[in-house]
Amino acid sequence: MTRLRLGLLLLALLALAALSAPLLEGWMGRDAFAPDLFARYAPPSAEYPLGADELGRDLLLRLLYGARVSLGVGVAAALAAAVLGTALGLLAAWRGGWVDAALMRLADGLLALPALPILVLLAAVDPAALGLPRGALATDMLRITAILVLFGWVGVARLARATALTLLASDYVRAARALGVTEAGVLWRHVLPGLAAPVAVASALAVAGAILAESVLSFLGLGIQPPVPSWGNMLANAQEAVFAAPLAAVWPGLAILLAVAACALVADGVARK
Amino acid sequence: MGDGGRGILMTLAALAAPLAVAPAQAQVPAGPPATRPQLTIGINQYPGTFHPNIENMAAKAYILGFVRRPVTAYDADWALTCLACERLPSLENGDAVRETTPDGKPGLRLTYRLREGEAWADGTPVSAEDLRFAWEAGRAFETGFGPAEFYRSAYELIVEDPRTVTLRLDKVTYDFAALGDFQPLPARIERPRWEADRQGYRNRTAYDTETTNPGLWNGPYRIGAVQPGAGVTLERNAHWAGTRPAFDRIAIRTVENTAALEAQLLAGQLDMIAGELGLPLEQALALQKRTGERFRFAFTPGLTYEHIDLNLDNPILADRRLRQALLLAADRKQIVERLYEGRQPVADGGVHPRDRMYDPGLPKYPFDPARAAALLEEAGWRPGADGIRRNAAGERLSLEFMTTAGNRSREQVQQILAGMWKAVGVEARIRNEPPRIFFGETVSKRRFGGLALFAWISSPENVPRSTFHSDEIPRPERNWSGQNYTGYRDAEVDRLIEAIPVTLEPEARRPLWSELQRRIATDLPALPLWHRSDAHVWPRWLEGVRPTGHQNYSSLWVSEWRVR
Amino acid sequence: MLRIIALRLPQIALTLVLLSLAAWFAIGLMPGDPASLALVSDPRLTAEDAARLRALHGLDQPLIARYLAWAGALLRGELGYSRLYAQPVADVLWPALRSTLVLVGSAVGLAALAGVALGGLAALRPRTAPFVDAVALLGQAIPGFWLGILLIILFAVGLGWLPAGGAPQPGEAGWPFLVLPVATIAFGQMAAYARHAAAALSAELHRPFITSARARGAGEGRILWRHALPNAAVPLLTLLALDAGALVSGALVTETVFARPGMGKLLYDAVMGNDYNLALLALLLVALVTMLATLAADLAQRWLDPRIEER
Repeated sequence: MTRLRLGLLLLALLALAALSAPLLEGWMGRDAFAPDLFARYAPPSAEYPLGADELGRDLLLRLLYGARVSLGVGVAAALAAAVLGTALGLLAAWRGGWVDAALMRLADGLLALPALPILVLLAAVDPAALGLPRGALATDMLRITAILVLFGWVGVARLARATALTLLASDYVRAARALGVTEAGVLWRHVLPGLAAPVAVASALAVAGAILAESVLSFLGLGIQPPVPSWGNMLANAQEAVFAAPLAAVWPGLAILLAVAACALVADGVARK
Repeated sequence: MGDGGRGILMTLAALAAPLAVAPAQAQVPAGPPATRPQLTIGINQYPGTFHPNIENMAAKAYILGFVRRPVTAYDADWALTCLACERLPSLENGDAVRETTPDGKPGLRLTYRLREGEAWADGTPVSAEDLRFAWEAGRAFETGFGPAEFYRSAYELIVEDPRTVTLRLDKVTYDFAALGDFQPLPARIERPRWEADRQGYRNRTAYDTETTNPGLWNGPYRIGAVQPGAGVTLERNAHWAGTRPAFDRIAIRTVENTAALEAQLLAGQLDMIAGELGLPLEQALALQKRTGERFRFAFTPGLTYEHIDLNLDNPILADRRLRQALLLAADRKQIVERLYEGRQPVADGGVHPRDRMYDPGLPKYPFDPARAAALLEEAGWRPGADGIRRNAAGERLSLEFMTTAGNRSREQVQQILAGMWKAVGVEARIRNEPPRIFFGETVSKRRFGGLALFAWISSPENVPRSTFHSDEIPRPERNWSGQNYTGYRDAEVDRLIEAIPVTLEPEARRPLWSELQRRIATDLPALPLWHRSDAHVWPRWLEGVRPTGHQNYSSLWVSEWRVR
Repeated sequence: MLRIIALRLPQIALTLVLLSLAAWFAIGLMPGDPASLALVSDPRLTAEDAARLRALHGLDQPLIARYLAWAGALLRGELGYSRLYAQPVADVLWPALRSTLVLVGSAVGLAALAGVALGGLAALRPRTAPFVDAVALLGQAIPGFWLGILLIILFAVGLGWLPAGGAPQPGEAGWPFLVLPVATIAFGQMAAYARHAAAALSAELHRPFITSARARGAGEGRILWRHALPNAAVPLLTLLALDAGALVSGALVTETVFARPGMGKLLYDAVMGNDYNLALLALLLVALVTMLATLAADLAQRWLDPRIEER
């Protein structure tokens, strides 16, 4: 329980900080996107609480704006994966037969695939070929989210299917059916609630995985494009000058660490409850 | 590679790399020269092939500089010199003779004599037959050598004696003496492979199947060991006739991530980082500040020209006043001072100030936001409510600004420029793509909407035909060849570009060059940024490395490198 | 056991075929073919040269025709050449695969050992559990390339104990080059093993047969080794198998940070450099290794725990 609380508290703080970015920006009277060539790699000071980056922009502000992108991608990917995974897992468990077999073989196949090269391949696909505008932030985020969902739903689906199978075989589902409750009603009222806990665990871990994956894609130059900050691209930009200005690399690294740890705590907390 | 002035070369951002120039002070130490068992050099790219004529890559050119000896090359003073030949053919010394080709065109007859003692590392002398083989293979359509222009022009090769060849060219250009890529290939090893299967030669060449065969190398060193992707180790060429180089072995390590490259230097695994393919300037400057006296640094401006191509098909950019306003509103001097500590010169155009054809009187655009604003007003763009200008039709002055994703230096510059333009009411929307897509599709097929930031590498006195001649605008019917990505057309510029190469007298070329520079600097189809500097990092005990700043890299003169 | 193998192998083959087809088109749809890239990097290429290069690379053929030609050659045992490295693909692939397997193998071995040790500690001495938890949490949350850079700064640049990366030169000892990258990967992997080991071991330690063994006077160490660990090994093995594929390809980041040649980087470079043949074969090889590892783990599970029913 304490883990769950600690994790949720951390996540809430991070989300609050992300939402407060424009307020803080206004209060500090500074633009998080405007380069200032006189403040490159400025050390932490009253003016720049965490220092400035390679273009003299305030690191704290960029960290907060980066949280919006990084957490946004993470949460969006995890939610989409959870919905898709739960739906498919439930479908497989309920219909059984060839639907179940086909879905689970597909899941096996995806699990067997080396994820990262495929991420790279998909990240390099030209959005214009799919009719999407190239280079817009929304396209970037959509692409990364889509990639993460493609692999993320599998874990959730397996978990959901296993739990749903147990629930569907349980006495009270049989009793409900005997009482004439419709199949939709059975699934909605008796099975789905039982899936909440395992899906929550899987989703929390998926958020963590997505945040880490975004940082890796940015490290490879396939992530969110400048000038929009994300923790991943801040870390990737800073690593080039890591010997000259290590602090610029330390903060986004710590932010990722904190967010991922918070998600892991939540997952752990739910699992133990 | 070392093409002596027949074109402009582009760096593929992360794929290819920069060049170098340097303080020229070759000291001659007293007494017997000191030697060291090994010199370890770090570079940031691994070559795809070791064949001199297949593919065009900076890492290959750098490594081959140690192990191959081209016939001619441009030296550190940007003058064409003989490396493997006895003297450069000229009309004065009679080795170059004007003649008429069998088709009745004006042509040239050039004679080259290989130096005495030039030998492959297995002891076989370099001979005219090796040149004949290279010429035959290059002329054969199916061999798959890159550019065929030279081989189409050189319609006949005559072996005069074992060390002498005569070439007949079907055109007369001022840089006729430069042989560039046309270098001896060991006929004894390569000819049978080529004759057995000409189409498959690319994959069968001993340069890639038996890279360590000494018979392939005629430089001061030969390739002794290859670790694919990681590096090569060079050993002395036992039959090298020139000055004995100072190292028994040279290890060249490839480290693509520049932070890792710096880490290996600091950890003592590397002795030096080649400036031609090394650290970004900003990173090297920071390294110098932190390490003080530990290494020797040289920052040498070279022929890598960073600029922004403007797509002239864009109606906004078709207006010259707007192009000039963009340049006037960009404080390039400030960027160079803050980002690069003034170590690379702001460019006024594609011709480097060190080039002998540079005209200091060409139009310049120092930072002047007021004039920029006036030009924008004149062109009909008035400030809008959101700070971005609008024209009479209410359109926003918004342009797409692209470069190679993942190239952090360019991404930095891009964001700074976007900020400066915003100050005069121009919005630059940043949209970047991985190099493969950016160069392979967007730029080369002219699919960029507005601005494209990248670099050209060139050689001394290079006529910008492929970038500014109207015939060179990429089009589907020309298989997208040509590099005039801006779509620039000007009849007078076309005429000048055609006239310069066939004007053999340097002083007669100079006014043509001046006019060409003036016209391009006035029209500004591309915005000049700066000529890039290469950051060379050497151990304190190494002397005599002379960065060239162009595509004939410093490694060609390794026998002059000395240990203190 | 044989039945499972007979059932799975065709599945693996089918997955490989589908994967190769999908990857072929994915790479093919990426803009920037070799001829276009050559055109950009060499201004002397004329329109005729461009047509010649396209024909040379087979780019004038439709995508599907090229795929069929490629697949046909592959079935005849012709692996073909890598465009990027100008070498037969096999000559490029094997050293890279070996290097990555050494790296990942050592890392997973170390991670499993350390993880089981930590998990055992937490199970036997519940007071240490929060510490083990914290270490596991840190390992799970730390971005791999960030840890790699920190290790380089500390051990290579700061203390100078170990090389900052790269590969050994011929005749040089290889192990110092392995230490930091192995540590980087192992630290991240260790977390999962520690958690699972702790959970499985504490569950086992409460089972009746352990209690009876204790009653018979067996030492705690002996109980852990002889009784609890073999049973707890089953979920750990599953974990190991599921990680195999992700690790081989995931080595990309570690290989980039440490400039170590290997499968991850090779695959990345091949995709980015439009080296169809190399990219495809590397991808298929990694997928094959992954699926075989999964199969091996399944077989080992059944062997260790015959209760698992055959599917």
